[in-house]
Amino acid sequence: MTNSIAEIENSKCIFIIGSNTSEAHPLIGSRILKAKEKGAKLIVADPRKIQLSFYADIFVRHQLGTDVALINGILNVILKEGWYDRKFVEERTEGFKEFRKVVEKYTPENVEKITGVRAQDIRKIADLYARSKSSSIIYAMGITQHITGVDNVKSLCNLAMLCGQIGRESTGVNPLRGQNNVQGACDMGGLPNVYPGNQPVSDGQMAEKFEKAWGTKLSTKPGMTLTEMLKAAMAGEVKAMFILGENPMVSDVDIQHVEKSLEALDFLVVQDIFMSETARLADVVLPGVSFAEKDGTFTNTERKVKRVRKAIEPIGSSRQDWDIICDLSTRMGYPMRYDDPSKILEEVAQVTPSYGGIYYDRIETEGLHWPCPNRAHPGTPYLHKDRFSRGLGLFHAIEYLPPEELPDKEYPYFLTTGRIYVHYHTGTMTRRSPSLNKEVEEGFAEINPRQAKELGIIQGERIKVFSRRGEIEIKADLSERMERNTIFIPFHFVESAANRLTNPAFDPIAQIPEFKVCAVKIEKVNH
Amino acid sequence: MKAMQARVRKLLEENKIDGFIGLKMEHGHPAPFMFSRENLGEMETLVVGDVRYPLNKALLKVSGQYPDLTFGVMVRGCDERGITELLKWNQLHRDRVIPVGVACSSELAQLCECYKPYPSDWVVGEKTEGIAKSKRLQKIEGMNQKERLSYWLNQFNKCIKCYGCRDVCPMCFCEVCSLEDRNFILTGKLPPENPTFHLSRAVHMVGRCIDCGLCEEACPSNIPVRTLYKKINEIVKEYFDYRTGESSEGKSPLNLLGEVTLELSDVNK
Repeated sequence: MTNSIAEIENSKCIFIIGSNTSEAHPLIGSRILKAKEKGAKLIVADPRKIQLSFYADIFVRHQLGTDVALINGILNVILKEGWYDRKFVEERTEGFKEFRKVVEKYTPENVEKITGVRAQDIRKIADLYARSKSSSIIYAMGITQHITGVDNVKSLCNLAMLCGQIGRESTGVNPLRGQNNVQGACDMGGLPNVYPGNQPVSDGQMAEKFEKAWGTKLSTKPGMTLTEMLKAAMAGEVKAMFILGENPMVSDVDIQHVEKSLEALDFLVVQDIFMSETARLADVVLPGVSFAEKDGTFTNTERKVKRVRKAIEPIGSSRQDWDIICDLSTRMGYPMRYDDPSKILEEVAQVTPSYGGIYYDRIETEGLHWPCPNRAHPGTPYLHKDRFSRGLGLFHAIEYLPPEELPDKEYPYFLTTGRIYVHYHTGTMTRRSPSLNKEVEEGFAEINPRQAKELGIIQGERIKVFSRRGEIEIKADLSERMERNTIFIPFHFVESAANRLTNPAFDPIAQIPEFKVCAVKIEKVNH
Repeated sequence: MKAMQARVRKLLEENKIDGFIGLKMEHGHPAPFMFSRENLGEMETLVVGDVRYPLNKALLKVSGQYPDLTFGVMVRGCDERGITELLKWNQLHRDRVIPVGVACSSELAQLCECYKPYPSDWVVGEKTEGIAKSKRLQKIEGMNQKERLSYWLNQFNKCIKCYGCRDVCPMCFCEVCSLEDRNFILTGKLPPENPTFHLSRAVHMVGRCIDCGLCEEACPSNIPVRTLYKKINEIVKEYFDYRTGESSEGKSPLNLLGEVTLELSDVNK
């Protein structure tokens, strides 16, 4: 997030796109409702009629995967009406001319044809967003999990820059992270192309810096993304894999392919707290610890580094994740040893400029937002105040591209996937909780009731859903939340895994799979 | 603070209690803690302030596990009403609980719109006058019926079914909760059935709600459930002449129902 969670409450306009916030990020959902009660305008754009849409001043359902077109339509209106922040555009940005040229083609009438959103609604969104004193954009996987994920995000950045709705309190472009420490994992270099704090692997100076800090030789060649690794495993180029706290046998796109790839490995190690579907395939399973058994820090979605404290001793033979890694490293010939997690954070501070001032003694009672470059620095609740990381903000001229797979004669419906309020990711933890499991015990396919009627499907009936990748049997759940041509399946449930159906098409830059759009057909189990 | 620490220390040293459930300052935050003879050295970390926790809920848990031990517990006016009521509901033993009182600050009393912001006896704080009528409730009562219905439906639609209101409630002690009965309330839906979910809980607050307001504090969706239960308490007072937790005499109206016959007239019309 460019801005902090608390600031949402004071926003005058909140534009939520591709985020079912009250279900998937309830505490942020709560801030949104508070802002609403203080008079903020609420814009919701989502293919599903989500809970927050009840509170929206304007709610639109754009066709799956048409985000770029919708946002370009909003930009078009803002430019045409002159509602943009000229001073901000002149002083803080570049690339405006090329950007303007592309956006001019996306008149609300043209966009209506692509997205299904009425031209007048596009105008209203533009009006509310551009002309409020402080507007925040909130998005999640509904924006990123597309072959145009990067384009979608850039389009939202265009919108914020055009209106000067960034670099101030209660504004910004705010992606919501799904887990308490996804931001932290990325910050620590859990990505193939960066060292901690987004320092590029390909930069020779960085390599030199880390070689010095770690006393070893390092490569300047970026590694592979998850999707590339699986392909390489299938091709026999990757022989062994070490998976920590991830369950790709449920969470990854096209599970059939994941299974074959993992089985093609010579050696698979999985470190987890439960015997997950992925752990079952492993040659060796290492028992990690749960949140309650660990000391350390998390860096949450608002870039805030916060302490987590051990409540109970590790159960059974489980061990701290960092401790296992140190042992493995030492046995593999690179001795690694820390007395406790605070020492690890000290090392992070030494090699990561954005974490340079974050130490245990400073986050004893309250966390700190990075960047926090030195011990005297109070942290940075919102980013890009006077300049962007690259200096001037760059407008991107972006054309709309349709999803990789669209409904056709054989597979006539859209499928979109997502999460529900009681379960967390692959259900490894939540499906083991009796109270949560009782709330939702099995997967379901949300279908518009009129659509269901046409297909002769009744509430609770078991149906088969097919895509070009695979098929699943699942319970039908008739719901007005969905439009007629689209069904929704939560991906938490292995026995009716949505990811047997999803399309392994990837964003060319981020390599994120298009989890949010594919084409399916539906059949009754008993004719 | 010092007075509370001294009282608790004395109770422990004189073996009047085996443990004291209070608040301990830890990492800059007050949190529930069991003070005992084994950890007397930590007594200086015992704190009193405007921060509240469902200490009675912790008391129910430990006294259930250790029925032969006697526990002290920090109580405010509302907590004391809770203990009075829990005794009547046979959830606690009279000889096994020793409350140590705190009178609430006037700020807290105002915030809570509490009608009696002090227990019968206290070692910390000063008595401040209670608030007879809740302004928040009056505001809602000022709406016409249609506005009121739409107000509440709108509030309940924000619910994310986290059960925070129930889980924090020191008076929710049932082993089986009707809010989890799927014949009664559909599972897997957000918001939960409106208004069945919230009105069911409201009805179950009859003779239970001691107006501590923790439910509303816990609610991530800021649903003014406390105001709703304040109305419940007012109705119980008006129709049954019962003030929950006020006296150890009498039993809650729902407790007294016993066998009754309800006649439904004109059901076929």
